Amino acid sequence: MTDQVADVLIVGAGAFGLSAAWHMAKRRDAARIVVLDEGEFASGATGRNGAGFRMQWGLELNIRLCQESIRFFETAAETLDYPRGIELKQDGYLVLAHSESAFERLESAVRTQHRFGVPSKMLDPDECCRIVPSLGRKGLVGGSFCAEDGSASPFLWLDALLRASRREGVDVRYGTRVESVARSGIGFHVRTRVGTITAGKVLLCTDWAVPDLVAPLGIDIPVVPLPKEILVTAPAPQIVKPILVSLEHRIAVNQVGRGSIVFTVSRARDGRSTESMPDFLSFAAPKIVDLVPGLAHLPVLRAWAGVSSVTPDMQPILGETEIEGLYVAVSSYRGFMTSPAVGRIMAAMVLEGDTNDPVASQLNARRFAAGEMIVEPLLNQE
Amino acid sequence: MARSLVIVGAGPAGMSAAIAAQARGARVTVVDEAARPGGQIYRQAHPALIGDDFAEASERARKERLIGAFERVLDRIEYRTETSAFALFKTGELHIASGSRTEALRADAIILTTGVREIAVPFPGWTTPGVMYAGGAQALLKSQSVLAGRSIVVCGTGPLPIVVAAQILRAGGSVAALATLNSLKVAGWQLPALWSGRELVREGLRYLTTVIRARVPRLTSYVPVRVNGREQVESVVLARVDRRGVVIPRTEREVACDVVAVNYGFTANNELAAMAGITMRHDPPRGGWLPVVDEFGRTSVARIFAAGDAAGLRGALVAEAEGQAVGAAAAADPEEITRPDFRAGLAVALAARERLSAFQDAMQQLLLVPSGLWRLPTDETIICRCENVTLAALRDALTAGYLAPNTIKRVTRAGMGWCGGRTCLHAVSALAELHGAPLAEMMTPRPLARPIPLASLANRAPAGRP
Repeated sequence: MTDQVADVLIVGAGAFGLSAAWHMAKRRDAARIVVLDEGEFASGATGRNGAGFRMQWGLELNIRLCQESIRFFETAAETLDYPRGIELKQDGYLVLAHSESAFERLESAVRTQHRFGVPSKMLDPDECCRIVPSLGRKGLVGGSFCAEDGSASPFLWLDALLRASRREGVDVRYGTRVESVARSGIGFHVRTRVGTITAGKVLLCTDWAVPDLVAPLGIDIPVVPLPKEILVTAPAPQIVKPILVSLEHRIAVNQVGRGSIVFTVSRARDGRSTESMPDFLSFAAPKIVDLVPGLAHLPVLRAWAGVSSVTPDMQPILGETEIEGLYVAVSSYRGFMTSPAVGRIMAAMVLEGDTNDPVASQLNARRFAAGEMIVEPLLNQE
Repeated sequence: MARSLVIVGAGPAGMSAAIAAQARGARVTVVDEAARPGGQIYRQAHPALIGDDFAEASERARKERLIGAFERVLDRIEYRTETSAFALFKTGELHIASGSRTEALRADAIILTTGVREIAVPFPGWTTPGVMYAGGAQALLKSQSVLAGRSIVVCGTGPLPIVVAAQILRAGGSVAALATLNSLKVAGWQLPALWSGRELVREGLRYLTTVIRARVPRLTSYVPVRVNGREQVESVVLARVDRRGVVIPRTEREVACDVVAVNYGFTANNELAAMAGITMRHDPPRGGWLPVVDEFGRTSVARIFAAGDAAGLRGALVAEAEGQAVGAAAAADPEEITRPDFRAGLAVALAARERLSAFQDAMQQLLLVPSGLWRLPTDETIICRCENVTLAALRDALTAGYLAPNTIKRVTRAGMGWCGGRTCLHAVSALAELHGAPLAEMMTPRPLARPIPLASLANRAPAGRP
């Protein structure tokens, strides 16, 4: 290892870890920032997600996190000096309701969204099908739509952050698994397979794996793995302009810029495996054909799985732990879409002790001990 | 109760395994993508076509004998034609598609005889219409009696270009030039090995005689370095290379043609094996990443076997002998295989495999692709055709430190397209190695091994045992 001392050590080079590293390096030139990741580039949950982002949520905190993040995505190519761009696509996001109760939740969420300037609107089934002609009518009650939502390439987002961070002097090391984090004087000893690093502060961005590192310190971060299975089709002409998500089918549909259509199909599944399960294709295909019959002819090229995380109230955990100087950022499965804002928040919190951010102040893990649960109306409790 | 066995592929290894397993009482199912048995090497003409496959008589006799034997067991096995095996899991569950329907098969044993496919070293213009694999041009002849072009340049490594050039000539076609990378002499000194494969040597010499008699310009140590023509090949520029594969200046020769048929050897169709989590080994001249197998074709995953070229390129005769041994082993109880009399019963097949493998080892020399050839593509040359990834884009990723196949794929999209990397991955790996990528590493295999429509996946027959 080149440098065994860091001002801030970040564990995890996914969207949260790299975004936080870049924001920290921008805020403080001289800070020695080290990022360690056990895998290779983009091998974790960020590189495996469905790539969509939206500000259509029912809670102020989620709306704000995503509004800030989408603004960042829009100018990321310039801000991060990444001329290739991150395959940004803003053709809107259509949230579908296949029941009256889901439709009512959407209506109430749209009223909240309007208070924060989100340009969303309610659509009836005819309007939904006009936007996406391949959509099935069966059971469709309506949807909400926001034209500024969209998607970007998680791979290129990570590549842009990685290259920009390294230019700012951040030391990012892959293939370096952290075995343990221990208190030492006013800092921490972070033990890896290839040596120990002494760090002033530590930020854990390993999502569902955070408990592996904090439980030995007596800290409870309630988060569990949430496997997501995904399949992608061959490139097709532009037929699904906005991203679709159906609250009841639990399917998200994203036709990316190259024409391939990515389907994220959720179901209850245990474990941390990133392999596609033998029964996934036959589970997912009928549900997809039911939701979008007009896409049934498309050939499926690939299926894979990613392991995102979920907390008891399905909201992120951002904040300092009981141990001073030890911070966690847990995504609760919206890490990619919130990572620009979360990176900024965590950078301010870790470097300057700023905990006054209106969003971050609600998301500390202490809320669970106090019995407070945040309820986001647009998430099905699973 | 009889053991159930699914064989993927109906080439020499698959047909021979099916015959052997059926003879031992197994309930055999063979799935194959083609409409007729034979695989690539023993590809059969469409029944409506009368005529020749332009092969040597002895080769045709071998083909007819094995296909005949397979056809005689057809009433006792299940043979599913035009059926793709698109996923295999370590549980032994095999997913297949035919027509607009998919199905999951479970069996006591599965034999993968998925064969090999051709590879090429990309060069400027290699994506121009008119550039094709030599074996592809041969397949057009064998199955459709169609000549790939009016004037064909055949080039590459190993014996295949010679065979293809001769067959084009015998079909009445015109070969503008035959350019081979390695001289046949490199295998010449290994006399015992040549003797063991004398039947194949004799056939090879006859093909060569056809080419010589037709006065086809033959260029040894020449490779295609550039194709001229935008919409269609108009000519190819051939140049001489040294032993390292580096082009020697001022040796370029332009040859007018409308088709360039090229073969730089083969890579194993290993997608199903890798997907099932079978331990693989890397052996480039034998076909790249191969499942590790024992003498009876057993892999690291229980119940899954591999045989023929998919377990290491050694040609049709080895595949046939090996299919016999592996078919018998897959039909047997696991403990039966350990008994001495089991091996004794297969002595002939095992000996034939060993003898013919020695010949194939000598022929490996002809298939070597020197690393200098990988300097043929220029910045604009497309390496991954499905995702239009140029050498410049690939080099940008390699220079930025993305050297592992998985990370190259994530950053450039090479291998993410329609073909699933079947065309470009060997090239991506070779180019990465030039850039100092450490030991060869495999891209994480994922379902599906073939593109299958959503509608077919939704139209799933209930799981069953064959």
